[in-house]
This record gives sequence, C-alpha cells and structure tokens, in this order.
Amino acid sequence: MIPASLTRSLVGACGRDGVIVDEDRLVVYESDALTAYRHRPGAVVLPRTTAQVRGVVRAIAQHGFPIVPRGAGTGLSGGAVALDGAVVVGTARMNRILAIDVANRRAVLQPGVINSELSEAARPHGLYYAPDPSSQTACTIGGNVAENSGGPHCLKYGVTSRYVTGLTVVLADGSAVRLGGQGRDAPGYDLVGLFVGSEGCFGIATEIEVGLLPMPEGVRTLLGVFDRIEDAGRAVSDIVSAGLLPAAMEIVDGPTIRAVEDSVFAAGYPTDAEAALVIEFDGMEAGLDADTARAAAFCADAGAREVRSARDEHERTALWKGRKKAFGALGRIAPDLLVQDATVPRTTLPSILRGISEIGKRYRLVVANVFHAGDGNLHPNILFDRRDRDELERVERASREIMQLCVDSGGTITGEHGVGLDKKHHMPLIHGPAELRAMWGVRRVFDPAGVMNPGKVLPDLPPAGGARDGSGVHKGQPATVAAAKP
Amino acid sequence: MKAAAAPGVVTDLLPADQVLTGEEGLAWSRGFPAEAVVFPASPDEVRALVRVANETGTGLVPAGRGSWLWAGGWTGEGCVIVSTERLDGVDHYEPADLTLTAGAGLGWGDLDGVLRPYGQWMPADPPGAWAGTLGGVVGCGVSGPLQGCYGAVRDNVLGLEVVTGRGRVLRVGGRVVKNVAGYDLVRLFTGSRGSLGVITSVSVRLFPLPGADVTLCFAGEVEEVPAMAAKVRTVALPVAAAEAVAAAPGAGREMELRVRVLGGDGEVEDVCSRLVREIGAGPGRTLRGVESRALHRRRAGWEDGSSLVVRLAALPDRLAETLARARGVAGRLGGEVSADVLGGLVRVKGSPGAAGADGLAGILVRTRLAMEEAGGTMTLSRARPELGARVGWTGSPDGGGPLAERIKSLFDPRSILSARCP
Repeated sequence: MIPASLTRSLVGACGRDGVIVDEDRLVVYESDALTAYRHRPGAVVLPRTTAQVRGVVRAIAQHGFPIVPRGAGTGLSGGAVALDGAVVVGTARMNRILAIDVANRRAVLQPGVINSELSEAARPHGLYYAPDPSSQTACTIGGNVAENSGGPHCLKYGVTSRYVTGLTVVLADGSAVRLGGQGRDAPGYDLVGLFVGSEGCFGIATEIEVGLLPMPEGVRTLLGVFDRIEDAGRAVSDIVSAGLLPAAMEIVDGPTIRAVEDSVFAAGYPTDAEAALVIEFDGMEAGLDADTARAAAFCADAGAREVRSARDEHERTALWKGRKKAFGALGRIAPDLLVQDATVPRTTLPSILRGISEIGKRYRLVVANVFHAGDGNLHPNILFDRRDRDELERVERASREIMQLCVDSGGTITGEHGVGLDKKHHMPLIHGPAELRAMWGVRRVFDPAGVMNPGKVLPDLPPAGGARDGSGVHKGQPATVAAAKP
Repeated sequence: MKAAAAPGVVTDLLPADQVLTGEEGLAWSRGFPAEAVVFPASPDEVRALVRVANETGTGLVPAGRGSWLWAGGWTGEGCVIVSTERLDGVDHYEPADLTLTAGAGLGWGDLDGVLRPYGQWMPADPPGAWAGTLGGVVGCGVSGPLQGCYGAVRDNVLGLEVVTGRGRVLRVGGRVVKNVAGYDLVRLFTGSRGSLGVITSVSVRLFPLPGADVTLCFAGEVEEVPAMAAKVRTVALPVAAAEAVAAAPGAGREMELRVRVLGGDGEVEDVCSRLVREIGAGPGRTLRGVESRALHRRRAGWEDGSSLVVRLAALPDRLAETLARARGVAGRLGGEVSADVLGGLVRVKGSPGAAGADGLAGILVRTRLAMEEAGGTMTLSRARPELGARVGWTGSPDGGGPLAERIKSLFDPRSILSARCP
C-alpha cells in the first residue's frame, strides 16, 4: 500500500486510469515469467510520456518508495519483481513507434513497443529488427534494453546492445538525459552501451533509437536428428570451426522432444531421438544452398541419423515449432520448471551436456535442454514439483552444480536472461569483490540514493577492509573466478 | 601539486631496460612530450606504477605503440607514458570457439598473423590499427568502415582486464559470446581512451575469413558521389563497407567510391553484378582477393602522419551536406576527405600550416556549430594541443556529461590518467 498523498501525485501525473492500487489488480504484477518469486507491489503506475515518467519518478522517490521499471513482465530472472512494496512503473502505455527512418535504417520508439511489432512495422520497407527473444510476440523493446536480450538469431546478428544507438533515460532524481544518437562514434564514454543490460537499476529508458537491418533475400532451414546429444554438440562445433556462419543453431534434447510431441505443439520430431538440431542460414540466395549442404554434411559426419530440410515457409515454420514451443510444452508436464541460462565456450558443449545429464541422473531429476547451441548459451530446464520438499532440495543442489560446471569450463552464469533476483547470489561465482565493487560504484553514479530496482543484480558487498594493502585488489578469490575470466 | 621528482619515483619502479627517457623516449613517442615511457611486463607492474603515480600525483598516459598519442587531446607534460607493448602474449586461442584472449600490447598485425592460418580474423579496420596494438584499438574504440557490416569494435570485445586509476585490477566480461552477468563494464572501458584505466588484456570475438573479398571502384565527380552512395546504402544487398575517397591524380574524375563485398564466392559475384546494375555504371576498376585486402590495409593508414584529422559525423542520409562541410574544411587546409558512406562519417586530414592558426580555429568552430545544428558532431581526431584547446576536442557531448564526470572520478579519483590539455 502506498500513502494517499502519493496516490494523488501519481493520479495527478498519469490520470486515474494510469494508476493501480487495488489489491486484486496488483496480483497481476506480483511476478515476472519466473513465477518462483512473488511480491506484490505497493502500486503500479502506467505513464504515457517521458514527462509523465519524470513526474512519477520524482513523486515516488520523494515519498521514499523504491521504483521497479517493468515492460511486459516476460523476464526470466525475477528482475521486475517489486520488493518491499516498491512502486512499479510500467511502460505498457508507452507503446508508440515514433519514427521509422527508412533512409537511415533506424527507428525511434517508446519502450513499451512489442519486439515483433517493430519488425512488422518495418517490414513494408524491407527492414526488420534483428534481436528476436523467444518471447518476442509479448516482450517489449524497453525490457530488451534492460536485459540486453538475445534470441536464436543473435548467433549471426548479435544481441540488443549492438542495435541500440540512442536513449532518452529518466534517472532516479526525475531528470531526463539523452545518450548517444548522434551518428557513428559519438564522443565520450559509451553510456548507451553501459545502460543496455542494466536491468532497471540505472533508470528508465523512455525513448529508444535502434538500428534496423534489410530483410535477408533467402532463408534455408535444416533439422538434424541425433541419437546422442553430444553428437549434435559436435556438429555445432564443427560447423562453427569450418567457417560457416549460420543465422541460428538451436538444440532441443530428447526429453524436450517428447514433451513437445506429446503436446498440441507437436512438430513431427522423432520421439526416440536424443537431440534435434535446427540450423538456419539466411542472406543472399546465391551461396545459401552450398552453405546448407555443407552444414548437412557436418551433421551426417557427426552421426546424425537423419537431416531434413524445409522446402517452403510452411515446412520451415514446422521445423522451428518444436524449438519455439519447447518451454510451453515443458510447462505442461511438470508443475514447476527451473530454467538456467549459462553460456559456455562452444567447444565445451559436448562435455558440458554430458556433465549436465550426469548431474540430473545423480539427483534423480529430469533435466530438459533447449538452447542456443551456436552461441554456447544453454537452457537446462529442471522439471519438478515444489510441493515435494525432498525434490525441491535436490533441484537446488543440482542447479548449483550445473552452474558451477559451466563456470568452471570458462563460461558465465547468464547469457541472456539477466541476473535479477534469481542469480544475484551466484554473481560471486564469476566476479571477484573488486569487480562487484566497481559495479556497485557505477550503479551509484546513475542512482546515488538506491531508488531504482533495489535488491537486484548485485549481492550485498562484504564489509570493507578486506584488502589491507589498500589497493583494493583482493586475493584468495575462488579458483573458479580465475577460470571464468580472460 | 606535482612533485618535481615524481616521474622519477614512478620510473624507478621498473628495471632500466623497461624505461625510456630523454631523446630515446621522444623518439619512441614521435615527439609527444612526456617525461618518460615505461614498459611494464605484467599487470602487477602496471598496478604498482598506478599506485605510485597516485601517491606522487604523477600523470600517466596509457598507450600501446604510441600511434594514437596525438589523438587524444591529452597532455604529456610532466607525465609518464605507460606502454603495454610488453604485454603481448596470446593467453588463450581456441579457433573452434572463435574467441581469443591476448595481452593488450599484441600488435594488430601480429594478431592478424595469429588468426589468418586458422581462416579467422577480427573484422575491424580502425584508422591506424596496423601500426598499433589490440589494446590501442579497443582503448580508442574507433571503428572503420567495416562496422556497418560487422559491428563496431565494442560489439566484438567480450572481456577486458583493466588496471583502474585507483590501481585495482578488474576483470570484466568474459570469453563467451553472450554474457549478461552484471553491468556491461566492457562497453564502458572500450573507447574510454585510457581515462579510466590501463587495459592489460583483451578477449575478442572472431569471425571466419570470408572466402571472397572484392572491391568495386566507381569513379565520379564530387556532386555525383552522394547519389551513388545513397544507392549503395539503401540497396538490399550485403555491402561490407563503402568509402568515397579522392581519386588518384590523373584519374580523370575527382572521387572514387569503393564498395567492398565480402562473403562466399558465388554470393560475392552475385552481389557485385547487382551493385553494378543498381549504380547504372560499371566500375572503373575491380580489385579481388589480395589486391582488395591490400587496398583496405593501405586505407587504414590514411591518417598516419597527419597532424590534423577532423571527423564529421551525421546520419548517413545527410552525407551530401556532411561531405560539403568536410570539403570546405579540406579546401582551407589543402587537405583531403574520406567518407564512410554507410555510416555518414567524413574525415578530413591535412596540414594545419596551410591556414593561419586563428583562421583554422574559426573554421573548425563554425563547422562544428553547423554539424551540431544538423544533429551531428565534429570531433578532432588528431591535432596539436594548442588547436585542440582552442576548438575543443569533442564539442558538446550528449546529455551524459555529468554521469561521465562521476564515472571518471569513480575509477580515477585523482585524475592521474590521460589528463586533457587545459
């Protein structure tokens, strides 16, 4: 609950229909797509303009409440959860595309625009927006900016930060700053790049300038079916090291295939297979068939028992269906799902997949893998029922072991879902105290009072004084830290 | 504030063979006036240098091979240049992962030598790179014309080890291609031009070398270039880079538009023939493979040796105006222009001796105002400190000025790194 004076201020700024304080309507905002974390916000406010965002941020901060920016709530790290009765500033009504600048292949938009709507709006001009998170028909560009979202086609095209060229940001004190957006190599620090992926801790992006790409002339999609998941992993590694650059390479493992084929999303994958590898090439028509043939040969050499290629858009959609609907299908067969998001060096994929499978067996858990194989970005899903206390405990232990395994191989704890609430306690697995202090310092540059999305991303710092020499260099970091970093 | 003996206290930290002073130092720095050049051989030695510099208030100028020392607008008076030349080892290279981690001092050409046998490269062509180091390229954060296709340098830096101005060793990012674990300090340090820390190690994302490398060179008069450029820019064909440059003397036309196409053999031939149709004229010459690569390598050195380089940037569809303004400056300098057509960036290089100092400063200030009014920028990329001080190196930055100042004081509270000329 927020005090009446704050409600009045918010209504004054955004109108009565822009402020939610009824408990039954606040329930919707209790969690993001990671439903394990639930906290009811003190209120939700839905501004329409930068000026309104400035007004509400100022009012909320003056009343001493924390602020949680929120897009569509499709995040998978608990980042949009409102701790301690925080007020959610939602961007749902900031959903206008302000300009599609065809000549310069860029767009200017409000943060609440849905990812796929931007591409739809750009399509008549032969352009599209490249980052395509699996939730792209629901998630917002503002949320993508906050999380530095990826997606299957980021293998070739890169993640969100490559496409964001300018931002208008409302900071915790209610001021608005314009960052970047002045053409190539803008002078000064790359504050746009720093802001992207800051998970709502630095401010609220209220206007976003992004780059668009011309639509590829042609697309080819392949499906490799494997009896062993390690073989699929090897095919990925071989394709990458042969110098081919597919737009996407995605693996769906046996348990996931069976879940998908059992569901309304059935895509025609063989249910006795242990891995399906979806490979997509795009670009100029000339050369596409040759690349696709080479990738098919690598699949066969790695032991694929079957390689299918899509002959038309209909077949292509079918091959992708099993991948795109995997999360939904898994959700049907277990009450609870824990999704991880580690990224590992691509060459370690076969051994990591074997390791994950062994951990699953040891803890008597079903682990289903659906992931961006070309990037080495894993999504092991642990299926469980939280009402089973013993199982829950095994899930937690297995989850930690899987994460440690990935970090030990030179990987990181999150490739695209973000840290949020869910992984902040794992941050010391890959960052030492000096790095965490530096991140705290940067966060305070943007938000000195700690108003924006508190309790997310960074674990509390250990008490100062750890470095007696005053240099701030901390010895005795866990061995994994050294292994995880360049 | 600075003790007279301070640089000596700093240089005393290293063995004599890791320090250059006097004429030797000036020779190394191509005349950039610093007290000494030091060559630490480990991050720990860098840390020790930074700590003592903090204690004595000695200014440090981080550098690789020193090719960009004149490009930052910072002062070297009373300062020590910290060169990372000796931090040049390859720590980790797994070709099948398409990632590499190396010391910041690894030469750009040496990096290419490591990667080429494996059919890989780092697809960036920043000005001056071939004379410099990996760390220099990352620290300066300047990208060349290939960025329209492969992204800017910062898009392909995965991780960094940095000794901050506080003397803290930070390892930020990692060596995997997707990583959102915490705030993106890699992007902050990339392009920070030595003002936040000394970059000691770099992890980058690599790409397979394209099978075919072809450059089509279309000749044209100055007035024709923007229209040709617009066709190249808006056609739905994968063009890797496109530059408009002054034609060779005797070429018959004033300029040449060089369009580079990279990819598989069949794809590149197809793109080239369609480009020719689109432009409506055949190329004056076509360079393939080694010839094409050599041309662009030479082009990357276009700024080398110039004492004044100005960058004018605006949205690509403003190229005609940007080019006209750049030519205005070039005319007064007796200099020449080079336009990155896909990015809307036009550079001018010249010799400031050709115009009076007062006149030159006035021209540059007026050009900047015009660029900023049109929503663009003008920055000095290389200039003598006196001119830089009069004109200003970067003009009005975006709205992040106060944030940038707080970030600077977070990582370098005593402001010992890369101090700007007053």
